[in-house]
Parts: sequence; structure tokens; C-alpha cells
Amino acid sequence: MSPADRPALSNRSVLGLPLLASEISVLFRRRRTWAMLASLALIPVLIALAVRLTSSRPSTGRGPAFLDQVSQNGLFVSFVGLLVSVPLFLPLTVGVVAGDTIAGEASAGTLRYLLIAPAGRVRLLVVKYVATAVFCVAGTLAVAVSGAMIGAALFPIGPVTLLSGDSIAVGDSIVRSLLIAAYISVSLLGLSAIGLFISTMTDVPVGAMATTIVLSVVSQVLDSLPQLDWLHPWLFSHYWLGFADLSRQPILWDSFGSNLILQAGYILVFGALAFGRFTTKDILS
Amino acid sequence: MKRTWLKWMPALAVPVLIASVAVAVPVAANAAVNLPTKTPSQVLALAAGEKVTALSGTLSQTSNFGLPEIPTTGADASAGSAIELLTGSHTARIFVDGSTKQRVQVLDTMAERDMVRNGSEVWLYDSKKKTAAHSTLAAGATSPPLTEGSIPTPDEFASKFLSSVDSTTVVSLGDDLRVAGRTAYNLVLTPKAGETLIGSVSIAVDSETGLPLSVEVFARSQEAPAFRVGFSTLDLGTPDASLFTFTPPAGVTVMTKTPKAQAPQTETPRNDTAKPTVSGTGWDAIVALPAGKNTARATSSPLFAQLTTSVTGGRLLRTSLINVLLTDDGRVFAGSVPLAKLQTAAAAAAATK
Amino acid sequence: MTPVATGFAMGTEFAIHTEGLTKRFGSQLAVDGVDLRVPVGSVFGFLGPNGSGKTTTIRLLLGLASATSGQIEVLGKRIPEDLRMVLPEVGALVEGPGFYPYLSGAANLHRLDTADGHATSATRRVRVQTALERVGLSHAAGKKVKAYSLGMKQRLGIANALLTPRRLLVLDEPTNGLDPQGTREVRSLIRSLAAEGTTVFVSSHLLAEIEQVCTDAAVMSVGRLVAQGTIAELRGVGGARVRLESPDRDLAIAVFSRFGMTVAEPGADATELIAAFGEKEPDPEVMVAALVDARVRVRSFTVDRPSLEQRFVDLTGEGFDVAG
Repeated sequence: MSPADRPALSNRSVLGLPLLASEISVLFRRRRTWAMLASLALIPVLIALAVRLTSSRPSTGRGPAFLDQVSQNGLFVSFVGLLVSVPLFLPLTVGVVAGDTIAGEASAGTLRYLLIAPAGRVRLLVVKYVATAVFCVAGTLAVAVSGAMIGAALFPIGPVTLLSGDSIAVGDSIVRSLLIAAYISVSLLGLSAIGLFISTMTDVPVGAMATTIVLSVVSQVLDSLPQLDWLHPWLFSHYWLGFADLSRQPILWDSFGSNLILQAGYILVFGALAFGRFTTKDILS
Repeated sequence: MKRTWLKWMPALAVPVLIASVAVAVPVAANAAVNLPTKTPSQVLALAAGEKVTALSGTLSQTSNFGLPEIPTTGADASAGSAIELLTGSHTARIFVDGSTKQRVQVLDTMAERDMVRNGSEVWLYDSKKKTAAHSTLAAGATSPPLTEGSIPTPDEFASKFLSSVDSTTVVSLGDDLRVAGRTAYNLVLTPKAGETLIGSVSIAVDSETGLPLSVEVFARSQEAPAFRVGFSTLDLGTPDASLFTFTPPAGVTVMTKTPKAQAPQTETPRNDTAKPTVSGTGWDAIVALPAGKNTARATSSPLFAQLTTSVTGGRLLRTSLINVLLTDDGRVFAGSVPLAKLQTAAAAAAATK
Repeated sequence: MTPVATGFAMGTEFAIHTEGLTKRFGSQLAVDGVDLRVPVGSVFGFLGPNGSGKTTTIRLLLGLASATSGQIEVLGKRIPEDLRMVLPEVGALVEGPGFYPYLSGAANLHRLDTADGHATSATRRVRVQTALERVGLSHAAGKKVKAYSLGMKQRLGIANALLTPRRLLVLDEPTNGLDPQGTREVRSLIRSLAAEGTTVFVSSHLLAEIEQVCTDAAVMSVGRLVAQGTIAELRGVGGARVRLESPDRDLAIAVFSRFGMTVAEPGADATELIAAFGEKEPDPEVMVAALVDARVRVRSFTVDRPSLEQRFVDLTGEGFDVAG
């Protein structure tokens, strides 16, 4: 173990794949992460139980859309669960994870050791962001999969009626569900980038989490004010509920594309801000 | 410190880049189109000779009639939907294969209304109300209007104006356009001096097929179009045949309509005893509707009071494009004309009665 | 930026070399024109009271914070420009250990090791094990860090610095929280690392704990470097004095003056005599023999060397915070 034994420095793992693997495994070894995923999975379970236990069928047009279809087709539990989770629960959990990225490491005192290792500031930012994106997918799937499972357990399963009135087979509906999950995961990427940037601003993770979550609410409030029409297409939450277009026949891809471009814009802007902030920051924690 | 500023450069450059793309893309889309020169009458002939039989496309419709924003939810939701067409914007998809296969989908938030016609079979489906209505058309009949709040196609809408081109209209050509990725001649219909509220009508005529791609109606009082309907995407290929077969899904209420009720589910304020009459022709025609229980029902709505103003002889619904006068005795006069002409018409109608 | 103007060629003999290193936080100067020279192969004590700018200097050396002005070279490379080439060869413990409390000690090391893009994944498990053994934590490898005592965390922090062979180790207050036995272990660890050729830069406010292992030292006070050099240089050659207890005062003074020594001050009582060395420092046995020959009745004879502690109190104007 003498310095001479040290292998010549190479540019091995420039991509930081071991670090990414470690980041994801650390994220999913936290009890908090599992608690959040479990809460998300609980949402469709509660919906399904509520529908099962109340004898009266929910009247058409009351409650979240498609709630009245749940009792006829268990596959709708997923859909209703996602619909309910998109405005608040998913942004909440993503806000926690994204807000924790850098600020959490800073407050634990591990940030300085990661940087000394050296993780490289840019590499660390990218790894943190990718891990957050992985959580976005995991969170969305938690709702979708638990919804499908509880739906299948409590209600009949059959061909699914699309918004257009056409019916598709169970297999096709699973493909559509996965598309919807992909759509929602993409929808959360902009918020994740905002959270990452805020997280580089502070050493207090709770502050970064709260700010990110508040911004997600503010964006949705602004999106509902007709006076701000001009602003709406620029709000990161604007297409959050646009996944309904995936349940039309044929699939309307417009909102998927617009959403993708919008989220990419947010990733670029807040990624660049996070880069500017984090690469010039004095790590004093 | 120089290094510090360099690190912030991307954060400055990215928004600048996005802003320039946001500006450049519409500019590029509207880049000067230079089509072979045609006279207005050649373009009219091109439009008249349109032979598109199959298409699929997305239509968007925006209205800006100068009305206050109407809440479309809440207690007055039904009244809101009645004037839905007058405000805001809507999107629909349309699929056409020949004259007897059509499908129109009005895309609402988390909901959809469909009209599917296959030969003489017509289905109307409303995903929110969970209703499907079936009817059989008499041979040769045209497709019924979808539902209230449906969107006219630019083709249908343009034909209303084009068929009435006469001596009261000046036909000219504006700058060539690009609509839904296709090049188009810009046919502009301007009413000759007359007492109409309509400033002009712009019809984008596809340079290749003559199909109207968009129609914009300008009011004299407004710069922005008061009404616009146009394709945002258009594909002239034959749509998938499965789109025109409709089986009502399980769990919906299925109604069967007789052929006579051509427009199932429509609730236009019309009853059999009250037939509208049209006075005048062309741009300043006035539609008169005798008193009926529908008008009485409409006037009792609180929304009505909110939208109309009291004028001599009744109440006025004023928009930038159309004025509607509801006389105190329940008759309705509507037209793209100033209030005074409606009042005159009302007085004249009363005198002849 | 002034060019390096010293007798030493930059980057040849020093593991750490700074010129006019300055860090300003707002209006406060945390580090003020520090010219640090840490020779390769040395065990370098970086001393100073709490708040004297030691940790900030270390942050600057490791590229965690950027200097307001001045230049830094570590292992012959410029900081922060060549940080990515330098850091893999530097192990560090900065301002206490920082770990994920919900992970085990081994998992923590594993995690931090993945952050080093140059570290081979294949040998990771073995290296983690070796590092834990080296600090005596093998038995607690699988325990969650939240169950560790402060001393165990400190050892884990040192283990992290030892994950790969290093040319330079920077240890900031490595004995913090350790019991006397742990402190001894850290000292022997430092000795063995130095024997392997690693330069060890160790900061402390507890002088006594590192005095015995250091070959060189520097002293910080209120952001400024007030002294640096080898331990011998710092103690000062002329600092030693002789303390003699004898009733024969005048005889003794005569003997001392023959050795070129001067009686500096009176002792505690009439029988005590304190004399400072002149240019030469004769061997004590020679002096005692001379005293006895001159019939001086020697009751006791001691050569006093001033402790570093005394020197630092003189330099910093305050004592070290012994309570720590």
C-alpha cells in the first residue's frame, strides 16, 4: 500500500456509472424513499377500497374523472390513482427527493467527501439528477402498478373503454398504462431540475424540498388563471394532465411532444443554473 | 473573477437560446410563401374544384367575440356550454374517407365527444355523460351536426361564405400563407360598404387541392380575428377503416334516434312552432325568431342578465361579430349588423303582424 | 497574482505550496496571505487555536472553496485547475467525519469510493475491508453509522482517507473525539503511513497530541501563518537552559561562564540557578563533571528545553484550547 503501487491514473469511469449505481442504491436503501413509494402505492388502494365498500355507485361526473368506471373495470383504478396523484402527491415526493439531492449531502457532511473523492461537481450533479429521474419513474409506477393490482383483486377486469368510446383489449390497455406512466414521469422531470437547482442554493434540505413543492403548487395555480393565458404554455405543470390524450383513439401525440419539449427546456434552464451555482459554490458545510 | 463568470454563462445562454428558438420557429413557419401568381377568381375556382375525399387532421377553433370569460363549470355549467362556442378555444380531430365515412372527435379536458358516421349509420358518443346515440340516415342525407359546441370544419364554414359571394363582396388575395404545414392562397372576402359588423373573412385555400385550410372572420371593431377555425395538422391519406366502426362500450346508456330527429341531443333553442325567418340578404341579413318557451327559459338564466344590456325594446347581447336582440315580448333578432338595424327589423316585424 | 518568489523551486520538493493564499468571507479575512510549504515526506503539524483559519485553508487546498487571491500547488499541480488529477492521490478528513447515518460503515466507504472515478470497482470490496482493518473497525463494518460513537466515526473518516494508496493525507483534527488509546493509535497510524512515504498534513488545536509525530509544523493565528519550519527550528536552538540546584552559587557561575553561558535569572530560591546556553551547547555530562571538579555541590542538574507549547503561546498570544 505504498504510493508507488498506485496504478497509473486513467480516465476510467468518466461517465460515473459506479457512482450512479451507488447513488440509486443509496436512494433506494433509505427508509424515507420506501415510505414515500408506499404512500403513493396506497392512493389507488384507498380509492379502490372506497369504491368497493360504498354500495352506491358514484354518480356520473362526480368525483375524479373515471371514478365511476372503477367498479366496472379494475384497470381504471390505476388511471384514477394517477389522475389524483399528479397534481399533489407525485410533485410532493419528487420535491422531497429533488430538494434533498445536494442540500441533503451538504447537511450530512458527505458532500465534501464526495467532492474530495473526487466525484467531480458536474458529474455529481448529473448523477443526482438521473437518480431523481429514476425516482420519478419509480413513483409513477408505484401508483400504476399498485392500482392495477388492487383493481384486479377487487373488481372485474375487461376491455377498457377509451375516451373516444372505442374499447381495447387488456393487453393493449397495459401498453397504454405504461405510456401514461412514461408521460407522467416525463412531466416530473422539469420539477426535478428546479428542485436540483434549489438544492444547490442551500445546506438545509427541508428548505429546498419545501420551496420545490411550493413552486409546483404555484405553477398549477397560475395555470388555472385565465388572465395569464400567455404564460400557460411556459408553465412546467401545463401539460401534467395532458396524459388523457393517450387514451384517445388513435393516440393523440401532440401533448406528449409539447410536454417533452417543455420539460427539456426546464431541464436545460435549471440544469444550467444548477451548473453555474454548484461549480462556483464554496462548500463550507 | 473570470472563472466564476464563465460558469454562469450556460445559465445565461440557455434562456437566450430558448427565447430565440421561440421567436424563430413561428417566423420560420411563416416564412414568405411564394406561390405561382393567381387571380382571385382563379383561386375561387380552385376552391370550387376541391376534390379531397379522404383526410385526417386536427382542427383548432378560437373565438374572441369580446364577451366576458364565462365559467364553464359550476352551477351554470349548462348555460356555459350553450355559449361554449362563443368563447375560448377548442380542438377537434376529424377523419374523413369519402362522403359517407366520417368521424369527428371534440377533444375536451379528460373527456371527448365523438360523431362516427359509416354509411347511413351514425353514432354520437359523449364520454362525460356516458351516452351513445344511434341513428340511421336516409339515403343521401348529410351528416348531422355533432353536438352543441361542435366545431365546423373550415370546408363547411368557408362554403357558407363562398357560396354567397356576390356583388356585395370584394374578393381579393392577401399574402400567401402556410397552414398546417401546407402552402395556401389567402382569399380575402370584404363586404362592400354596408351596415355589417364583419370586417373581412380570410380563407386559406390549399394551393395543391383547393381545400380550405382555415377561415378567419375579422370584426370591424377588432384587430385580432373574432373567430378562427383551421387545421393545425392535416394528412390527406386515407384514415384507418377501424376508426369508422363504432360499438358502444359496456356501461353506457344507448339511445336510438329516429331518422327524423336528425340532430340527436341537440338542444338548440328551437321548437316546431317557431320557425326562423330571414330578412335581407348577404352580409347584413337578419334572422328573426318568434317568441317561444325556449327564449323564455333562456332569459330567466342569471347568466343572461350578466351578458346582456338593456336597450330600447328589449335586451341586447353584444359581440364584436353578431348582435342579438331579445325583445320584451320574447322575439329574437340576430345579425352581423348594428343594434339600430335589429330594432328597425323588430319594429317592422311587429307592424306586419 | 505575484510570481512565486522564494528560494525553493515551485512544485519540486513540496507536497503543498501556497503563495499569498487569501480567503475573504464578506469583510472578514479568514485566511490572510498564507505562504505554506509542506515538504514531501514530512509529517506536518498544522497548528493553531480554533477559528484561526486552519479548516478554511484545508478547504482551499482541496478545492472545496475557491481562494480570493493567491496560488496553490498540491503535489506539484495547480489548484483548482488540476483538481481532478490531484485529488485521487490525496486522502482527506475535513472538519469531522460525514457519513450517511442509515448506511453501515462498510456501505459508506463503498459509496464514497464509487465517487472516485479512478478507483477500480473490482477491488473495491477488498480495499474497503483493508481500510476498515487499518483503523480497527472491522468488527463494526456491518453496523449502521448512526449507532457509531464519535470516535468510531472519526476512525471511519480516517479509513475513508485510506481507501486507495495516497501520496498526501490531509487530516483535520484526526484525534477529535478519540480516547487516549485511540489517539495513540492514530499517532502510530500516522507514523506507519509516513514510513511508507506518504506526506501527512495534520491539523490540530491540541498540540501535545501531534507534537511527538511531527517532523515539521506551521502555526496559524487569526488567519495568518505566524511560524513554520522543522520542529527543531520552531523550538529554537538557543532556547534550552540549565537549571542547577546548589549552595555554591558563585563557583557555579564561574564554571558556567567558562562554557560561554550566562546566568539569565535568579532561581526560585537562593540555591537555584538558571543559565542560558551560549553559541554551543555542551553535553550535560561534561558540564556536570566540570561542576564537580570545581567543587560545586550539585544537588540537581537539568537541561530544560522550552516546550513547543510555550513557543506557540508566545506566537499566538493565547494558549491552546486544551479542553478541546
